[in-house]
Amino acid sequence: MTLFSRHVTDQLSAHIHGQLSPRETQRFERHLSECEQCRAHLDQVTFGADILEEVQIARAPEAIWNAIEAGLNQAPASRRWPLAAAALAATMLAAIVCWVELRAPAAQWNVVRIHGTQQMTGRVGPGDWIETDASTRAVVSVGVIGKVEVAGNTRVGVVAARPGEHRLALRRGRIHATITAPPRLFFVDTAAGTAIDLGCEYSLETDEEGSGLLQVTSGWVEFQWGDLHSLVPAGASCRTTRDGPGIPYFDDAPDVLKQVFAEGASRQLDTVLAAARIRDSLTLWHLLMRVGPAERERVFSRMAALSPVPAGVTRELVLKLDAPTLARWKDELAWTW
Amino acid sequence: MLRMGIVLLGITTLAWGQGFTFTLGSPVAAQDFQFKSAAFVFRAEGCPEPDKLQLSAIAEGVVSGERRSVTVKVMPASKPGVYAIAQSWPVEGKWVVILKGACGGQTAGALVPVGPRGFLREAAKVLPRPATSGEIEAALKIFTDGGKQ
Repeated sequence: MTLFSRHVTDQLSAHIHGQLSPRETQRFERHLSECEQCRAHLDQVTFGADILEEVQIARAPEAIWNAIEAGLNQAPASRRWPLAAAALAATMLAAIVCWVELRAPAAQWNVVRIHGTQQMTGRVGPGDWIETDASTRAVVSVGVIGKVEVAGNTRVGVVAARPGEHRLALRRGRIHATITAPPRLFFVDTAAGTAIDLGCEYSLETDEEGSGLLQVTSGWVEFQWGDLHSLVPAGASCRTTRDGPGIPYFDDAPDVLKQVFAEGASRQLDTVLAAARIRDSLTLWHLLMRVGPAERERVFSRMAALSPVPAGVTRELVLKLDAPTLARWKDELAWTW
Repeated sequence: MLRMGIVLLGITTLAWGQGFTFTLGSPVAAQDFQFKSAAFVFRAEGCPEPDKLQLSAIAEGVVSGERRSVTVKVMPASKPGVYAIAQSWPVEGKWVVILKGACGGQTAGALVPVGPRGFLREAAKVLPRPATSGEIEAALKIFTDGGKQ
């Protein structure tokens, strides 16, 4: 069908803004269901549209407009002069806008410090640190995308406060983040790596060495340290150490799995595999990438026994750790998580 | 001509053999941040003509011993064929969401008990047809008598 139907990339914006007629919507969705290329375009446009909603429009300084108007009012010396002047003005405008953008003060976030029944409001921006002791806590408004509750005995700093990047550094202690933005706009750096918001609510605690715990209550969080990354969905947790993120596990997982992946206990792989439920394919999927080839084959076999392997996912490709294959399998397994 | 007819028949049989059905999942399965707080999401599968797909949902509940019924909006997620059900019924009481679907001549249904922490996967039932009133009453009764979360 895709071979004979026109791509719908020219209707992406209209679709996002609900401007298609019911018939056009039907045709659009039918095509989309069969066209991977158009689905990828839709994801990109949707992401861009979501970000645009966050962008604030900055006005150019009045002086620029005065300079342009003055230039336009001058009589042309030759027929080429107006074009050259316009080009020069445009270049100057671009340079000044860049200069203004770079010189503009970074966004400041509201912060409320709470000590017992007393509250004190303030503002924080890049380079600022919030430090609480046992008797204080704080609530930070992260621009317009959410809030972060800072528990006692915590040290957290603002690294970036731009529309496209909201980044904190958690040195020690515990935070609880509630974010309503599109994925990959909010980040928290720790000594064990970076927690990347994929549209979620979560708690993160760490010490200065990176030992800590990520607990997700809504959506997804990706925890990344170099090439090592863990995807943690709602209802799951993940230990972190100075070596990066551990293997995620569901909070209701069997005791054996929690002892191994939450408490670091040593158990035989077969014991872990035997205890795993269908839902624990979250843990097994991550385990595939953290064990050697011989163990990987046993993990694959257990996963295949727990739930059918989807079309396009083969033992051979999984054992080779083929990234698109693993991603496709993860998307299918997520229906059991 | 005969060969082509056999091939076409085979393709049609395969398409229909897949069967129109629902797959239920927690909100993370949709991988759509807009629906992270949904009660649950579901996928309509085996519908060869998506433009003929018809979906509806209703929440049937018992609040303080009284039967209640709330129409529920089925919201399409960013992935084609994936839909989200957001909680639009009161937080009090026990509730079962009844999904109903039709695709051409095929039908599908589901009974999905929903608790305060989302849908109860083990208690949910996917059916090859809309649930009967008897099945709905039975699901509610099991849920209200012995359901827990």
